[in-house]
Amino acid sequence: MFDPFPELPARARVAFAACFVGVQAALVLTADRRPDAAFGFRMFSESSELEPRLLREVDGPDGPVEVHAPGGEWVAKDAIGVPHRLKWSDRVHRKELSAFDAVIHASYGAKAQIARFQAAVDDVAAHTPDDAETRRLVVELTVRRNGRPGEKVRLVSAPRRR
Amino acid sequence: MRATLQRFARETGDGYVLGLVRVVIGGLLLWHSLGSARELMTNGYFGDGFHLPVLPERLVLPRAAYTVLTAGRILLAVLVLVGHRARPALLASALLAIYVLLCDRVEYHNNRYALALYALLLSLTPCDRSYVLAAPAASADARLGPLWAARLAQLQASLVYVASGGSKLLDDDWRNGLVLADRVRRYGGQAIAKGVPEGIVSFVGRADVSSATAKLAIMTELLLAVGLWSRRARVVALWWGVWFHLVIQITSKVEIFTWLTLAVYALFVTHDHKARRLRYDPSRLKGRALAALARTFDWFGRFEVKAWEPDDIVRSHSVVIVRRDGTPATGVRALAMAARCIPALFPLWAPIALVASFTRGGEASSRA
Repeated sequence: MFDPFPELPARARVAFAACFVGVQAALVLTADRRPDAAFGFRMFSESSELEPRLLREVDGPDGPVEVHAPGGEWVAKDAIGVPHRLKWSDRVHRKELSAFDAVIHASYGAKAQIARFQAAVDDVAAHTPDDAETRRLVVELTVRRNGRPGEKVRLVSAPRRR
Repeated sequence: MRATLQRFARETGDGYVLGLVRVVIGGLLLWHSLGSARELMTNGYFGDGFHLPVLPERLVLPRAAYTVLTAGRILLAVLVLVGHRARPALLASALLAIYVLLCDRVEYHNNRYALALYALLLSLTPCDRSYVLAAPAASADARLGPLWAARLAQLQASLVYVASGGSKLLDDDWRNGLVLADRVRRYGGQAIAKGVPEGIVSFVGRADVSSATAKLAIMTELLLAVGLWSRRARVVALWWGVWFHLVIQITSKVEIFTWLTLAVYALFVTHDHKARRLRYDPSRLKGRALAALARTFDWFGRFEVKAWEPDDIVRSHSVVIVRRDGTPATGVRALAMAARCIPALFPLWAPIALVASFTRGGEASSRA
């Protein structure tokens, strides 16, 4: 025999349906306002790719300079001068957000991936206490939307407290 | 309007097919929750690394509680699958799945959100009265229940098509085929590896063909949104939609979206349990084999399968199908009927029906 489960009365069914459809329609209509168009069912909205490159802004002899961190890895000294090998992927586990110097597909579109990289660069910058050298982290993206020529996008973290 | 709403709220029907949809959704919930558990074991707790919660961070569960939640999701999915306390399990699964999506936006996928919504709606239907493990089959009367939430799930399916097709229609790159051409360039190799002939992949990759295919895809999505509701166009819309999603499954990575959508398609079929009869000649191997196949694959329970009873139909047939209106069919027409009603054969329905339409053979009544 089936499990008893309360049935909604007729009026509540109509009210539930109106709320459900209203919320879903609102989420679909406002999807453009969210970088990843989440909850908006924009299937295969783009065919874009990104080529990310991680840079660190450090103190140079004549002021700040940017140095490449190949593959998202670098060595930096902590506050007492002990060197540490640091990896972006120790903090960011998603492959599509941690594959540097390689071409990756921008799932959910370039806009979504740019927003995620911006959040990630801020997150990594705030969670690498063993790096007392890096002033800011920079992600340089080469973005190719729907097969068009690449355009550069530069994402900079907030200045780090060292 | 008032009458329509009253009809919507009070409509009842046989929940047999809803049980099948529940089983598929239970399987998909299990697949996703096992994936979350695997992720937890291999990559660790998502909250220990970069994540983008939609909820305030304080509402994101800590590692231990998230581990319990993941185990709970697996257990709930199993309950849905076997049909034990299936409706509360569906409701809880849906709410937990939405919660998990809100904990980390990076993990958001349309198919996961759609699965949660369909699970939520299915929990409000009589989906627990068929396909229940270790329980006797419920009678037709016991399976009766309100269908309003099933209709709402159908509406949700249409909304997905409108959202997807509409956004493509408004996008120049999509309309002109740029997106599709680039996808073919990027994933063509993957499609070839899955068995799609190389010639087809390179043909679809041509600019003019991509442009035409893009327009066809947009039109398909928008027409499906409407066509699935039309009594006359429904079977064609379902057939076209099945192939549309199977092609997407072969050529792209969409997690479980194909199987979820095909499961929801079952809600659009007419809920008429055992309304057709399949009679077979038990003295023939072919008759017994076809009857066994029908019993195995008639997941919607549309045929009452019984051994042959002598009547005025030509006795040279192994199988005769008696339609809802009582007219019998044999041969290619019976095959078309079976393909229309049996899910596993449904992708073959249109070509078989086309062949059947060119012949008068198979109308058993005309030959009796």
